[in-house]
Amino acid sequence: MSELYIWPDMPFLSISVLVAASMVFLYLARTPMQKALESIDEGIAGGLTRISAWINLVVVKMRDKNRQVLLESSIAETEDKILHEFRRMESGYVKHLADYPALHLKLDESIAIVDADYTECGQVIPEAPGWNDAAASIAQIKSNGSSDRMIEKMLKELHKSAIEGEKNALSEMRKTASQRHKILSGMSSTWGKILKIMKTVESKVSLVLETTHKIEKFMKEYDAIRQGGEQSIDMLSSRATKLFIFSMLVILVAGFGAFINFQLIALPMSELVPAGTRVLGLQVSDVAALVIVTLEVVLGIFLMEALGITNIFPQISSMTMGKRRLLLYASILGLFFLASVEAALAVLREHIAETNAATTQALAGKAITASESDSNITVIGQATLGFVLPWILAMVAVPLEMLIESGQHVLTKLLILIIILLGYIVGILGHILNTAMKAFVHLYDAYIIVPMKIGELISRKS
Amino acid sequence: MIKRALYTGIVAASAITLSSCSDNRDYETAICALADISGTYAQEKESMVNIIKAGILPKLLPGDSLYLITINSSSFDENNIKAQLKLDYRPSQANRQRLEFSETLDKFVKDKEKSSHTDISGAMMLCGGQLKKTQAGTQLMFIFSDMKEELKPGLKRSFNKDEFNSIDITAMNVIKLKADNIDPQKYRSRMEKWGKRVMDHGARSWNADLEPADITEYIDDKR
Repeated sequence: MSELYIWPDMPFLSISVLVAASMVFLYLARTPMQKALESIDEGIAGGLTRISAWINLVVVKMRDKNRQVLLESSIAETEDKILHEFRRMESGYVKHLADYPALHLKLDESIAIVDADYTECGQVIPEAPGWNDAAASIAQIKSNGSSDRMIEKMLKELHKSAIEGEKNALSEMRKTASQRHKILSGMSSTWGKILKIMKTVESKVSLVLETTHKIEKFMKEYDAIRQGGEQSIDMLSSRATKLFIFSMLVILVAGFGAFINFQLIALPMSELVPAGTRVLGLQVSDVAALVIVTLEVVLGIFLMEALGITNIFPQISSMTMGKRRLLLYASILGLFFLASVEAALAVLREHIAETNAATTQALAGKAITASESDSNITVIGQATLGFVLPWILAMVAVPLEMLIESGQHVLTKLLILIIILLGYIVGILGHILNTAMKAFVHLYDAYIIVPMKIGELISRKS
Repeated sequence: MIKRALYTGIVAASAITLSSCSDNRDYETAICALADISGTYAQEKESMVNIIKAGILPKLLPGDSLYLITINSSSFDENNIKAQLKLDYRPSQANRQRLEFSETLDKFVKDKEKSSHTDISGAMMLCGGQLKKTQAGTQLMFIFSDMKEELKPGLKRSFNKDEFNSIDITAMNVIKLKADNIDPQKYRSRMEKWGKRVMDHGARSWNADLEPADITEYIDDKR
């Protein structure tokens, strides 16, 4: 600093002269300096404002794109659902309609039986007309003398035969009535059959109706999505976010499961795959254990695909039923094989751990202690865990598909938020710089206030 | 076009995977235990072996190496390597090797061999050479001695500048001599001299205060 002094012995005077000279210089250079500052301000703040505007434009485009992707994927998903329901309905129709002729035949037969029984019940033996009245009239006739004896005898005979005839008719009628009751009681079982058949028909029809209601619901949803209103976009977005969070949680838990699985088989794998090389910093045996765990997940994905629960690979879903069944059996067989291998490795792991403990004890000069019952429980536990974990890991395909599907939307949403934040930061930065430049110009003017005022006075006087 | 890109991707991925295959040696540990069998320290054989058996052997991992080298009148001799071991990658074999090495150590304790002079430097040079041969990522040297060197007349022991490059050296189970008891400064200055000497010749670290109970933790830290 002292090097700048004009008179090193008089620092105050030197500084004062320097300040005065700088004031005069800055006063004279005021206009070009202000223009330069304005240019810098325009360059930096303007550039930042443009960046902010560009970011906003990018955000709008990304939002549109994300919305479009969400709509299209949801349309495809709903179409799949509707198609699935149609397939269900179709298979239901094929199955139930195939049964229907037999069902109808049964119903026809039962109705024919009922009809025949009814007809049979209708055949009533008619009563002899007027016999009762005739018999009563004959019984009321009184005898007048011997000349009428012949007639009286004849009438008595007639009366007797009329009563007998009535008795016979009554007996016949009772017999017929009893037969009709028998037929009617036989009809009840046929009615039961008809009722049962009708119930079956009702349940099948209600199943179809249920599917129809579902299709109707999906169709309404499909229409709403196709219209692409704000409400349906919000609903889809919220659904995707919810799915993402839940699937993330499930994947996280599955990740811990995979870690336990890996720990269970890593040590025994070193016994099976001993090697002095490493891949990406991992021992070959560890890599082999990781491959087994990964294979379990892959087989699980194929299993779920073959079952039609997930739809990650369109090639699998478009396969014929026979091929899918083949894939299903192959996946189950593969998983069973890996689960068995893991169970065996878990047993080996326990054996190695016991040997390690015994060796350490022997090296430390301690007596070897081991509880037989305890070790058996541990072995059984580890083997069971080794067998069960691969099947549990296989289920990870479902949340994985959900995560991938919803992740696309959620991550884009997150990216948009970050870009918006960046836009805000750039905008604020531009504003701060702009304000700072303006403040600097004012400070500049304040610094040269003395020469400015003198200049103003001189210009006024002149 | 897409097919070509796919093939290029597969080839590139395979190349990256293959190039990421590395030798295990960077992750291995080589340990050398120098056992002083001269003078009064010869009585410490049993405690020294116990430290190796309980503290070092169980901590060895598959691929690790262990050497037992004696410090006698003229230690820079291959015959001084009393036992050596490189652990197999199979845990079952590794355990068998540990037990065999333990038996060798027991035999070493029973051995009555003694020396009149103490050539610590020669043993350290021999040990350094062995450790370097292993190319292990971690190289540790444990010196079981009173650290008082008494060279036989005519022996010349000077270290190279990089004699102990990337080796962590520890003086273990150092017993104090009668003269140290009379003047502890002698012991302190002796240890300081050793520390300065090994550090000047490339050692990664020097430690003279390690307790036998902390040896496993020390090995874990150095890995």
